Amino acid sequence: MIRLLFTFCQWLHETTFSTAIRESIWIFPAIETTHVMALALSVGTIAVIDLRLVGLAMRKVPVSEISKQLLPWALIGFGIMFSTGSLLFIAQPLKCYQSIFFPIKMGLILCAGLNALVFQLTMYSTLADWDQEPVPPFWARLMGSLSLVLWVGVVAAGRTMAYKF
Amino acid sequence: MSFFRPFFQWSDGTWVGIALRRSLWLFPLVETIHLLALSLFLGTIGILGLRLFGFAMRRQKIPQFARDLAPWNIGSLCVVLLSGWCLFASEAFKCYDSIPFHIKMVCLFLAVLYHFTIYRKVTQSETSRVTTGRTRLAAAISLLLWFSVGLAGRAIGFL
Repeated sequence: MIRLLFTFCQWLHETTFSTAIRESIWIFPAIETTHVMALALSVGTIAVIDLRLVGLAMRKVPVSEISKQLLPWALIGFGIMFSTGSLLFIAQPLKCYQSIFFPIKMGLILCAGLNALVFQLTMYSTLADWDQEPVPPFWARLMGSLSLVLWVGVVAAGRTMAYKF
Repeated sequence: MSFFRPFFQWSDGTWVGIALRRSLWLFPLVETIHLLALSLFLGTIGILGLRLFGFAMRRQKIPQFARDLAPWNIGSLCVVLLSGWCLFASEAFKCYDSIPFHIKMVCLFLAVLYHFTIYRKVTQSETSRVTTGRTRLAAAISLLLWFSVGLAGRAIGFL
């Protein structure tokens, strides 16, 4: 399995597309800069939504309003993160393969996504009961906190990956 | 630039600068904190921008909305500035020779000045309850200035 993964990364590394991005003077920096700057739209927006869920920010605004209004923008942000991230991976598959922080980062993103999914499937149905409350119920606060911690981990793992390079 | 040279020298010699240079993990840690705080800060700037443009949270009146976000906006900015200074202290002379660094500092100065004067005035003004041309312009300048700081900061690593 690992052997297959390595072969795939090696093949990807040698494609024209990957090489073109990697060896260009400006394309890789431009993609990476967009990736980092889009953190504000993705993680930054999610952080504010989570801070509301935890009952720390914007307590006078109903949770549903914050969620409905800001989530679409956060998703646009994540779209940018995913596409630029994919390009970055395609450009340097072997470096990603060699770093332990890459699978850690991917794992944390997966967990954050699952956490969001579970929240949507469970807490959302009871939203009307606690929408106006400045401090949401325990499980909502827990999932909001978990989301914050996971995204902090994602950013930290991403940054550490750069150092190990 | 030589006007600020004493500040560069002083920062370089502080225990913070020395500690970050000596330790293997302290610089990455502080830099990660810098990155996280600026994600939150730019996030609040972005959300305020969305409101000022009328793209989101339209039911909220602007002055109250800005005031509600202010603790996180100002708080994260403080963490950004403090962690930023720590990073600067660890490589003050490299920054002295870096053109992107000087550009970043000029943009930062302008951004902070703008943020606490014109921007504050526009967001707190009662006539700004709804989106107007003025609020859109204020948001556009805010986003332009802060993202210039971010881009210049990124360029320090490249050039």
